[in-house]
Amino acid sequence: MGATVDVIKEAFPYLLQGLYMTIVISVVSIIISLVIGLIACFMRMSKYAILRYPAAIYVNLIRGTPILIQILFIYFGAPSVLDIQLSAFTAGLIAISLNIGAYNTEIFRGGIESISKGQMEAGRSLGFTYAQTMGYIVLPQAVRRMIPSFVNQLTHAIKDTSMLSVIGIAELTMVGQSIYAMNFKSFEILSMVAIMYFVTIYTVSLISTRLERRFVIS
Amino acid sequence: MIEVKNLTKSYGEINVLKEISTTIAPQEVVCIIGSSGSGKSTFLRCLNLLEEPTGGEIIVEDKNITDKNTNINKLRQQMGMVFQQFNLFPQKTVMENITLAPVKLKKKTKKQAKVMALELLKKVGLSDKADAYPANLSGGQQQRVAIARALAMEPHVMLFDEPTSALDPEMVGEVLRVMKQLAKEGMTMVIVTHEMGFAREVADRVIYIDGGRIIEEGKPQDLFSNPSHERTKAFLSKIL
Repeated sequence: MGATVDVIKEAFPYLLQGLYMTIVISVVSIIISLVIGLIACFMRMSKYAILRYPAAIYVNLIRGTPILIQILFIYFGAPSVLDIQLSAFTAGLIAISLNIGAYNTEIFRGGIESISKGQMEAGRSLGFTYAQTMGYIVLPQAVRRMIPSFVNQLTHAIKDTSMLSVIGIAELTMVGQSIYAMNFKSFEILSMVAIMYFVTIYTVSLISTRLERRFVIS
Repeated sequence: MIEVKNLTKSYGEINVLKEISTTIAPQEVVCIIGSSGSGKSTFLRCLNLLEEPTGGEIIVEDKNITDKNTNINKLRQQMGMVFQQFNLFPQKTVMENITLAPVKLKKKTKKQAKVMALELLKKVGLSDKADAYPANLSGGQQQRVAIARALAMEPHVMLFDEPTSALDPEMVGEVLRVMKQLAKEGMTMVIVTHEMGFAREVADRVIYIDGGRIIEEGKPQDLFSNPSHERTKAFLSKIL
């Protein structure tokens, strides 16, 4: 028993650093993915095919391939052809952002389309442009409805970052693997890793429930 | 004020409006009647281009609004619209609903817009509801706020698309009273309505539309008591 406590005590600071990396990547990529999602959403809803098609291809490509392949592709595949060098951190951030961004595109689209057409018409009839009506009237209503979905996306992002261990980013999973590779305490270490993910994600869900109560007015 | 020349609108193969021509004079109150699906709402929505006409011309205050170069947003500021479903902004208070457009589009200060909004609320009998949210108002109250919101842009003409059709019967009167008052003050109004009593009393002219065409138009007393067209007679006999 004492040995187990020692294992935990010794590993914890390193795992905490890994968790920190996990959270940094998750938070930064969720922010980038919101921007990507909003842009791609308006491209998808555009009346111009030249905007609509690239966005549709992007969304379907991401949804139709495993995230692991996307990560490997961005870190190893793309740079070899484009003759550029990406750090693992940058590649990981891009991969997670692009992946979550594709799903956000559809969340934005669904949210905007769920707002009655009459809202857009009322705004336009007052003399607002399409963009103004979106910004002042439609989006504020749509975003309230989307908050639960975006929180859900954040929990996905946190879990997806564990895939980044394959390109050697020192996030929580990677740190855990390195530790039990040295001390062979795989059960203890993996349990700790799982608990740390769980606590993080559960905290996020709790915060989201409070946010929803505050912002989501039916 | 508004001149419509050979206006047509089709959705693919279906012709909703067929060669509609008419003129609406300043300060005139025109009621458009007809059965559902006759094209009367589509006609009204073409006047501020919520529906894009397929053919023909619409001239509003000497500007051809069907011309691609016309700034339609500027033009819509002068044409207030009231919808069947009210379409108030649910996340904003009554006051915010009314002041949003004047502040953002007419560059009024918040204070100016508020003073005006309070005046308008008084006019529609809702002075005490400035801080309420639309969800807490009855249908009739919401529609009166919608009228105030449109009036806040100081439009030259008001378009009403079946403003009382979604209301409980006991609330129709309060909305019609506000509209009557507006007509008295000399507002140019185009009203799609099923309220024949209102049309008879307030309209300067009634237009009967069926199958996407103007079948008959004239002074309400003439059209209601003495319709000259068979289809008008058939329609009126069903509803009067």
